[in-house]
Amino acid sequence: MKILTTVKKVVDVELNIHLKDGVIVEDGLQYVINAWDESAVEASVRLKENKGAETTLVSIGGGDNSDMIRRCYAMGIEKGIHIDDPALAKADSSIFAKVLQKVYEKGNYDLVITGKQAQDTDSGQTGIILAEYLGLPCVSNVIAIEVMDDKHIKVSRSGDDGTEIVELELPAVITVDVSINEPRLPQMRGIMMAKKKAIDVMDLAALGTSPDDVGCATPKSGIVEFMASKMRKAGKKFEGDAAEITAQVVNLLANEAKVL
Amino acid sequence: MNPLLMSLLLIVGLGLFGRTMYHKILLLTALEPADRAGHIKERLKNMVILAIGQKRLVGRKKEWASGIMHALIFWGFCILLIRSLNLYGEGFIKGYQLPFFGDDYMLGYLYIALKDIMECIVLLMVIYAIFRRAVLKPERLHNTWEAYFVLAMIGVLMISDLLHDGARYNLIMLHNNPEQLHFFNNPRYGSEFLWTPVSVGAAALISGVSADASGNIMVSMFWLHIMTQLTFLNFLPLGKHFHVITSLPNVFFKNLGYPHEKPRLLDLEDESAWENESLGIKHIHQLNWKQGLDLYTCTECGRCKEVCPAYTTDKPLNLHDFNDKLKFELFDNADNIIKRAKLSATKKENGNTDLTDKIKAEKAELNSKKQLIGDVIAEETLWACTTCRACEEVCPVTIEHVPRIIAMRQGQTTMAEAYPKELNKALKGLERNGNPWGIGYDKRADWADGSGVKIMVDDADVEYLLWVGCAGSFDDRTKKVSTSLVKILQKADISFAILGVEEKCTGDFARRVGNEMLYQMMAKENIEILNNYKVKKIITACPHCFNTLKHEYPQMGGNYKVIHHTELIDQLVKTGKITLNKSLEGSLTYHDPCYLGRYNSVYDQPRSILQSISKDGLKELGRHGRESFCCGAGGGRMWMEETIGKRINLERAEEIVGRKIANVAVGCPFCLTMLEDGMKELNKEEEIKTQDIAELVAKNMA
Ligand code: SF4
Ligand code: SF4
Repeated sequence: MKILTTVKKVVDVELNIHLKDGVIVEDGLQYVINAWDESAVEASVRLKENKGAETTLVSIGGGDNSDMIRRCYAMGIEKGIHIDDPALAKADSSIFAKVLQKVYEKGNYDLVITGKQAQDTDSGQTGIILAEYLGLPCVSNVIAIEVMDDKHIKVSRSGDDGTEIVELELPAVITVDVSINEPRLPQMRGIMMAKKKAIDVMDLAALGTSPDDVGCATPKSGIVEFMASKMRKAGKKFEGDAAEITAQVVNLLANEAKVL
Repeated sequence: MNPLLMSLLLIVGLGLFGRTMYHKILLLTALEPADRAGHIKERLKNMVILAIGQKRLVGRKKEWASGIMHALIFWGFCILLIRSLNLYGEGFIKGYQLPFFGDDYMLGYLYIALKDIMECIVLLMVIYAIFRRAVLKPERLHNTWEAYFVLAMIGVLMISDLLHDGARYNLIMLHNNPEQLHFFNNPRYGSEFLWTPVSVGAAALISGVSADASGNIMVSMFWLHIMTQLTFLNFLPLGKHFHVITSLPNVFFKNLGYPHEKPRLLDLEDESAWENESLGIKHIHQLNWKQGLDLYTCTECGRCKEVCPAYTTDKPLNLHDFNDKLKFELFDNADNIIKRAKLSATKKENGNTDLTDKIKAEKAELNSKKQLIGDVIAEETLWACTTCRACEEVCPVTIEHVPRIIAMRQGQTTMAEAYPKELNKALKGLERNGNPWGIGYDKRADWADGSGVKIMVDDADVEYLLWVGCAGSFDDRTKKVSTSLVKILQKADISFAILGVEEKCTGDFARRVGNEMLYQMMAKENIEILNNYKVKKIITACPHCFNTLKHEYPQMGGNYKVIHHTELIDQLVKTGKITLNKSLEGSLTYHDPCYLGRYNSVYDQPRSILQSISKDGLKELGRHGRESFCCGAGGGRMWMEETIGKRINLERAEEIVGRKIANVAVGCPFCLTMLEDGMKELNKEEEIKTQDIAELVAKNMA
């Protein structure tokens, strides 16, 4: 089984993000692997370890991604492709999916595993659009994978009304939730081996396509401006017995909030 | 008496003993190197105080009775060594006298008197020891036939010698010395028997028998004594009584300058170390010779487990068992370990690659068939340790448990990648944001906003760097300690600054859980920054940071004068830079943090500060000072769930509640969290306030 895993580099959401004139201030920021993609990597590596799958990852854009890709190597991924092209600077989910389609078509994969969304844009579309472009079956929000045979897998997805179990014929695309696994922490041995491994970096031309081909000129969506979300005010705690609390609340609603 | 028999016994007895010892020593030399050379004076001093003086036996109030018992038996043995030599002489030459110990010398008389009384004392102590084992049954002792057998042999040694001398007395004094036996009778000092009341007493017991029978008793007791002694000697190396022989060297070679051997700085890029799986301890042959000697020396006295927070709260960590299992694994593999060491020696001489491959394969064959962690030592055992060092502090023969545990964890984490995965969250936090909570590194100095604290990047021209640590920077409760400390420093006009967002975890917890890679990553980055600012003096309120900065950063080129905040505050009080008020209401106790007390011997300064602020003085807990009880958070345990047995912090909190205390002072952020959690669980957090010394000082200074 050949698996393609997609990985996106995102800003570390543990950090405070500052804006200046509607643009993110880069100073002091650090970038890390998208948490959902990290789970996708872990899921792929487990399929490699348990089922002998071959694992390839692909990452698009983001400048120098070598640290992140090497970290994935240290986790156990065998091959890494980085599509880097200045034309992709303003790419949206559909363009990413188009690029991924090209990567997929070059590689003869059986299964694509993507994170269900990215920590930065949270749009959760790329994997699904990719399946659409490829005409492959797709299951999103996957929380468990079971390999049935060479051609079939069974996945559990977390749906609105509970867990749904879906059987899929390969090739297919799945997008995974972080709850699918606890990604491993790369250890020294893996890190040392990862250092020696090559990363296949290519631009769109090298991939056999062009900016126009993947739709760079006509993105379907784009970022207009970044705005900081308003900080929520701290809540108020009332103490006392039920009657006292009711009196206090009514008083505030009437006099402070003036809604009564 | 009978030179032929004597020669035979000595040749067989000493020959066998020599052979056993040769193998035991050969095995040690086949283990890994340990640097315990030099500092002879200090080593001798340790040996005199700890081994010969039996400090940890007689010096513990809780255990004075058994301590004195053991010390008396030990001292008795030392004294009786001379007697043994004399008896060997006697076996060859009738009336043999050792040089200077004969009847021409006062020394000879003094010696026989001492020997006489010591034999009596040792005999009484043996009786007490048997009584203690059989009737009192202290919990820490693990009763074995071996222990009784050895006690019985010691008893036989004493009785046989006393009866030998008693029978001799009877022959000389009651039966007119038919065999012309020699006895001390120097006119200056009088007859031998005036000096040996116990032997004379023994004589009285057998005075009813004939001259012939007395002669037979004397001879048979002589040979019984010699044979028992040689049997005893040969029996020692076979079990826990090997300590009789190895304790002195073990204490002599004890680590100096730091309570135990520091974790080795592993060269993680060394290919051959990866090949040999020698980063940390993963195989029994990777122990160093001192660790082997430690195993030979464990007396199975159980003192370690009695004070061990893990053992006493029902975790599967029983140290003497741990030692025993390693020891038997070592012995089971002794021949292979020796062969492997020989192979390694040939490998060094040979450059031939074919041969090298062959040797590699042969060496792999020689590995123990058992997994060291898994088959010999259970995983839960290895990870239960809080590295509190309570065990090491009480061990009478200075066995170093913790470095071994850390090295095994290194083997598990680095080589086998088999460590508790629940640690990943904290480790990943370290990797990304330099703190185990994983909070964005950019928030590290938020606690100091508006406090007027300088940041190094703005002004590095200060006397001290205040090392805040992760807890002091990110944990809401501990931030209050940082703020209090700042108030004190500002009050005393200390010139200081913090690193702010440039500070990272020291890596202490990563190192204790065997993740040497992350430790070195943290240490390297911190040292670069500290050295860049030319930092000379560091203050810190976290004993874990304190210990790592002070003792482990020098391994990587970070040399600073590090001072714990309690030491500094104590200095500030003593030099009048701050004045304390005796205004703290309610009883007060102090919980010693392991990494401040046992690791760094800071016991007095915190107490002195507390005494100056408390109206009611300081009330000690039952377990305090060197024998303080861990809070349960050290050794990376802070970041692991405690699912087996009772929780350690709860055990400590209960101890405190039992003392009817109103205030608990601590000097460590982890102790603060753990004890406060324990109090919450007992619903006592309102009644019993747990605070850092810095908080108490800030509230009670003028
Ligand atoms: S390690 Fe030390 S304290 Fe523990 S049983 Fe052995 S000798 Fe006793
Ligand atoms: S260091 Fe502490 S927890 Fe670890 S074995 Fe010793 S006494 Fe037990």
